[in-house]
Amino acid sequence: MTHQNDPDVRFLMGNEAIARGIVEAGCSVTAAYPGTPSSEVLESLVRWKKELKHPIYVEWSVNEKVAFEVAYGASLGGARAAAAMKMVGLNVASDPFLSAAYLGIRGGLVVVVADDPGPHSSQTEQDSRFFAWFAKVPVLDPGTPTEALEMTLKAFELSEKYQVPVLLRPCLRVCHARQNVSLNTPRPPASVGPFKKDWTRWAAIPKYRLTLHRELNEKLVKIEHEEPETRPILLNEGAGNTTALITSGSVSSHVRDIIASDTRLQGIDVYKVDLPFPAHRAALQQIVDEHERTLVLEETYPVLELQIKDRRKVIGRLSGDVPSQGELVPELVEEIILSTAGERPVQREAPAIKPRRPSLCPGCPHRPAFYMMRQVFDQAVYAGDIGCYTLGINMGAVDTCLCMGASIGMAGGLARAPLTEGKTRVVATIGDSTFYHAGVPALVNAVHTRARFVLIIMDNNITAMTGGQPTPAQDFLADGSPGKAVDMERLVRGCGVDFLELADPYDAKAMKETLERAKSHAFDDDQGVAVVIARRPCVRAPKIELPSDRFEVGDACDLCMSCIKDLECPAFRYVKSEKRMEIDADMCAGCGFCVQVCPSQAIKAKGA
Amino acid sequence: MVELVLCGRGGQGIVFLTRQIGQIIASKGLSVISSETHGMAVRGGSINSHLRVGEFFSPLIRSGHADFLISLDATETANNKHYLKPAGLIVENSTLQDETGTKRIAAASLARELGRVQLENVVLLGYAACVEGFPVTAEEIRAHLNKEPRESVRSLNLKALQAGIDAA
Repeated sequence: MTHQNDPDVRFLMGNEAIARGIVEAGCSVTAAYPGTPSSEVLESLVRWKKELKHPIYVEWSVNEKVAFEVAYGASLGGARAAAAMKMVGLNVASDPFLSAAYLGIRGGLVVVVADDPGPHSSQTEQDSRFFAWFAKVPVLDPGTPTEALEMTLKAFELSEKYQVPVLLRPCLRVCHARQNVSLNTPRPPASVGPFKKDWTRWAAIPKYRLTLHRELNEKLVKIEHEEPETRPILLNEGAGNTTALITSGSVSSHVRDIIASDTRLQGIDVYKVDLPFPAHRAALQQIVDEHERTLVLEETYPVLELQIKDRRKVIGRLSGDVPSQGELVPELVEEIILSTAGERPVQREAPAIKPRRPSLCPGCPHRPAFYMMRQVFDQAVYAGDIGCYTLGINMGAVDTCLCMGASIGMAGGLARAPLTEGKTRVVATIGDSTFYHAGVPALVNAVHTRARFVLIIMDNNITAMTGGQPTPAQDFLADGSPGKAVDMERLVRGCGVDFLELADPYDAKAMKETLERAKSHAFDDDQGVAVVIARRPCVRAPKIELPSDRFEVGDACDLCMSCIKDLECPAFRYVKSEKRMEIDADMCAGCGFCVQVCPSQAIKAKGA
Repeated sequence: MVELVLCGRGGQGIVFLTRQIGQIIASKGLSVISSETHGMAVRGGSINSHLRVGEFFSPLIRSGHADFLISLDATETANNKHYLKPAGLIVENSTLQDETGTKRIAAASLARELGRVQLENVVLLGYAACVEGFPVTAEEIRAHLNKEPRESVRSLNLKALQAGIDAA
């Protein structure tokens, strides 16, 4: 597979390859909400759009449900459309996703859902192929960036041929892998003609839904029996061996490399399934029947395994031979294959790994906001949310983290727990993008029910954790074209909030006074939810000028360690040998907050 | 076939280095596959990338298979040493002296002399490229970095690369 100086070969990330596939397929409407490991799909769609001067529409939607609905609407309007999200995003989009499977589509509709076995940057290890099964939607499972591009094209074809949405499920090891990938010429935007009115389908009442469900079931039977991707493909020349291995997706890539590198494993027939639901059940069963034992390796649930009816000779998750949680990393895959083949395992010493914990960046505006919250609210229960600011756990300022927007909903419940009524003080934090995503309905609920808590919106004017995507507060869209800014204060007031104040988290005094007033409103005066917007742009945002001020620790330092324990700023370092504190000038971002809050006022401008 | 692991802290430019090396190899017409860390860990946490040159499907290197460990942070070397083959080589950003199996360069201080500690990754790359068996040469990296359209970025990167080469 060499491409000598081929200009049409690029070193592409899986997500970039998927985006390329979306453009090559003649897709014209795309929508996404950022989330690791999926975010680069839409980001690179923007780059392909610019590079190819392609008319494709790209939007960062307010959340995944809306992203799916935008794509679905475009499909009904006749265009090829795609939505992209991480696996927990599909939970948010599940309502329209399941219904759309019944109603069907018009223009090809592909939903890219990135899974995160591990999990490395997510709340769950859920398998979106299983979700596809639940929704009765076909799913393709790529193993490499090259396959991801090919399967994206295939997904659009299948979707239009059978009039169903198709799910493309790359795992993190495909999304964030890079590989030399060959490019093709994009086809012009496809259309199947404008929207055709037919309320018995597009607005079907329950009576017609029964008919649509039958149609969907018939489509799945056809796909299972007529599409070659549902059948296991033999990858090696084995044939006639006693042991078989059936695999799919990212783990199939580990399997291929391990089998190829070990002569002891040449006697295993290796099969790969590209479309694991609906898989060709008879073909799977035939492999199992023809071998003494069949090992099934897939991420992360036993989707193929469950589609094998007689599993008495199957080794997999259901037999307890493959762990039911955690990523199938190559070392583990090798161990399982060797043990299945009756070979001796590789002797490996367990590496003594002490991973460095992630931390809010030096200069991050969330740090002073959390610091001041702890000063004002002390032992309150802190309901947190999803984003960089989840790292407030390092500062004791985040006690819960459930899902997008849950801080506000949960705060309402935490404050009402009967045993602690009137005693527990609940303080919720949520980022700006998460607030737009799922916080707004929860805030309406809190206001309406006179819930008793303080909400701090950590507004850094960007979706920071996932790489700095714009939020609805910006007046531009994903590709830089004009949009209308949705003003945060007007939105909060529109939810019915009576107490709303803004503060700059870098300003310790102002922040403290604002939080004190919010505390009085919500707790002392029992006047309902109080909202504070702690506003200061992300230090990693483009075009942000960081202060050049640098600071040093003077003789007044009594080594109280507050800068490390309470402020948790990574720029501080305790020099044990000299029993003194120092500030790493390379790391310091010059925010100067430590100068304002050092208990012994020991920090001063460098050289002053 | 060459397999290398790159490691460091979030924000040190590990992903940038991996991409540069991979792009150079891909443009030579060779098969290359790599994996990157994104998400929560990039906020100052432990970061590593794997890069494999040859006919591979998986982007991950198994323990005990890497030819090189390129480390931007000495404390992260320990977390990734298990990836190395017994005969593998560590190339590390550190002020300490070389020892058997480990070559070291004070990349951070050289980068600071150029005005930006953030250039330490490119300094280390220049140094590593002079090591026998490294999958890209200093000349190939220079030609690649020369394609950067922004003059200020290009000239700083080229200076950093040269600083690494000179230290080799």
